[in-house]
Amino acid sequence: MSLQFVVDGLLTGSMIGLGAIGVTLTYSILRFSNFAHGDFMAWGTYATLAVVSAIGATFGKVAPIAPLSFGWPLLVALVIGMAFTAILALLLDKVLFSRLRSQGQAIIVVMASFGASMALRSLLEFTFTSRPTYFSRAIQIAMPVGFGIRITPDQIALLLLTAVLVLGVHLLMTRTQTGRSMQALSQNAALARIVGIDVASVVRVTWVIGGALACVAGVMIGILVQIRPFMGFDMLLPMFAAAILGGIGSIPGAVLGGLIIGLAEAGAVQLIGAEWRAAVSFIILMAVLFVRPIGLFGVRER
Amino acid sequence: MSETVLDVRNLEAGYEPGVPIVRGASIIVRKSEIVVVLGPNGAGKSSFIKAIAGLVPITGGTVFLDGKDITAAPAHTMVRLGLAFVPQTENIFPLMSVEDNLKVACGILERREIPARIEEMYAAFPDLVRQRSTAAGNLSGGQRQMLAVARALIVHPKVLVLDEPSAGLSPKFVSMVFEMLAGIRKSGVTILLVEQNAKAALAIGDRAYVLVEGKDRHEGIASELWNDPVVAELYLGQRPSHAGKGGAA
Ligand SMILES: Nc1ncnc2c1ncn2[C@@H]1O[C@H](COP(=O)(O)OP(=O)(O)OP(=O)(O)O)[C@@H](O)[C@H]1O
Ligand SMILES: [Mg+2]
Repeated sequence: MSLQFVVDGLLTGSMIGLGAIGVTLTYSILRFSNFAHGDFMAWGTYATLAVVSAIGATFGKVAPIAPLSFGWPLLVALVIGMAFTAILALLLDKVLFSRLRSQGQAIIVVMASFGASMALRSLLEFTFTSRPTYFSRAIQIAMPVGFGIRITPDQIALLLLTAVLVLGVHLLMTRTQTGRSMQALSQNAALARIVGIDVASVVRVTWVIGGALACVAGVMIGILVQIRPFMGFDMLLPMFAAAILGGIGSIPGAVLGGLIIGLAEAGAVQLIGAEWRAAVSFIILMAVLFVRPIGLFGVRER
Repeated sequence: MSETVLDVRNLEAGYEPGVPIVRGASIIVRKSEIVVVLGPNGAGKSSFIKAIAGLVPITGGTVFLDGKDITAAPAHTMVRLGLAFVPQTENIFPLMSVEDNLKVACGILERREIPARIEEMYAAFPDLVRQRSTAAGNLSGGQRQMLAVARALIVHPKVLVLDEPSAGLSPKFVSMVFEMLAGIRKSGVTILLVEQNAKAALAIGDRAYVLVEGKDRHEGIASELWNDPVVAELYLGQRPSHAGKGGAA
């Protein structure tokens, strides 16, 4: 068995993990499963692509940065795409989720997110067709790094980016007043208000973080695989499996869960064939729910 | 007589429209007083102070804090206005460390003031120091109450409002909690206290109200109320201290 699956697994796992952070935050703070989260990924990716094209049209062809397949336009576009996705999430919350949330029935919000997911996805298909597209069609040469593993410069850069983002979110959650407020709200919403936390503003921060990271995850898929309207929706099962495996509400858990599922998927592809890839998340999800429903880092409710 | 801190007039409040739980209750709390609210189970004591704290919809009456009308103020603005509330149950964040429980309540303080303020709380509640990085959910009942009170005091409130701080505690912790409250008052903090443990509460209180069916039915000097026949009658013949062990929040 070749160890190449480790690199593939870590990459897939990074995408799943970044997405799962948003899933786990919305679930623990807003108390509903947001099925539209995958479509935030796709929208963020298409927004980034649109900005890249616009920059290309304005500045002409820009040379990529040394060994990478992309140049500064993609980096600028990514930041704009993250902001766009955050605003999209805030907007959807304002017009849809917050109104339903105030009625106090979680299942209605979940169903609404399902509807929003379909609508968002169809809009993408309508606008961009369902044909796959790419940030760059250049083929990168994978460098051998020993043990039969090969890795491209893009892949290294994206793994580093994931690590930086995850560390950043973790520090935000554990070291800042904003993060403590988010933890507080997820543990006891009434007490959070009593200690002076403005729930509405914490909810906004939650959407901004979830949306921005969804965009990054989507763009990673866009760079390493391809861009399609279904790219995010197809990630829903692995993302939820990662969030639940890690323990709902835990940022490190979501990322570790993502990496485990990514590695398991890549391993399964190599061992038993690519058609089993999708089953892996499902099997892990079922196993967690049977064996340890609170997940790796989860804590039993009082 | 010293100035009025909290002035609640004819408060009406309830959880659902058309079902008033608090039915025209009025109380006054003056500076540096301990005012006790007594009443049988289900009298609406918790609902009354939750309404004051902005947690139960108010349908009538007014709440003044330091002369300012705070009747319509949202719950999360109460600490800034000067009212700190310690609920009857679930009054700490169980998965956060003791220190983070304190820090998360410091939102209205100046950033550079916070570390010193936290140390002051540890000095006032030495039991918490050793547990500073323990998850608050692992504390004993008495320590939890201390943490909840410390968390409320950390923002220098004008009035500290507590809902049955002794409920569910073992006798040793009960006396510890009441000693703590007496000590807090000595430092100049005004306290509004709801209690089932009438004897202990009246022992540290200055004045007391008896709340029955959502309305204040009797008022008096705390030390005199214990032997007041009206109080016994309002408790339907029960001795107040045995009127119940404190039910749901
Ligand atoms: N969240 C709620 N929703 C609807 N009704 C409630 C709620 N909380 C309390 N009530 C009702 O309000 C009434 C008064 O309850 P409350 O808890 O205020 O009384 P209490 O005097 O604090 O009682 P105890 O001594 O048991 O703490 C009760 O009839 C109760 O059923
Ligand atoms: Mg009560």
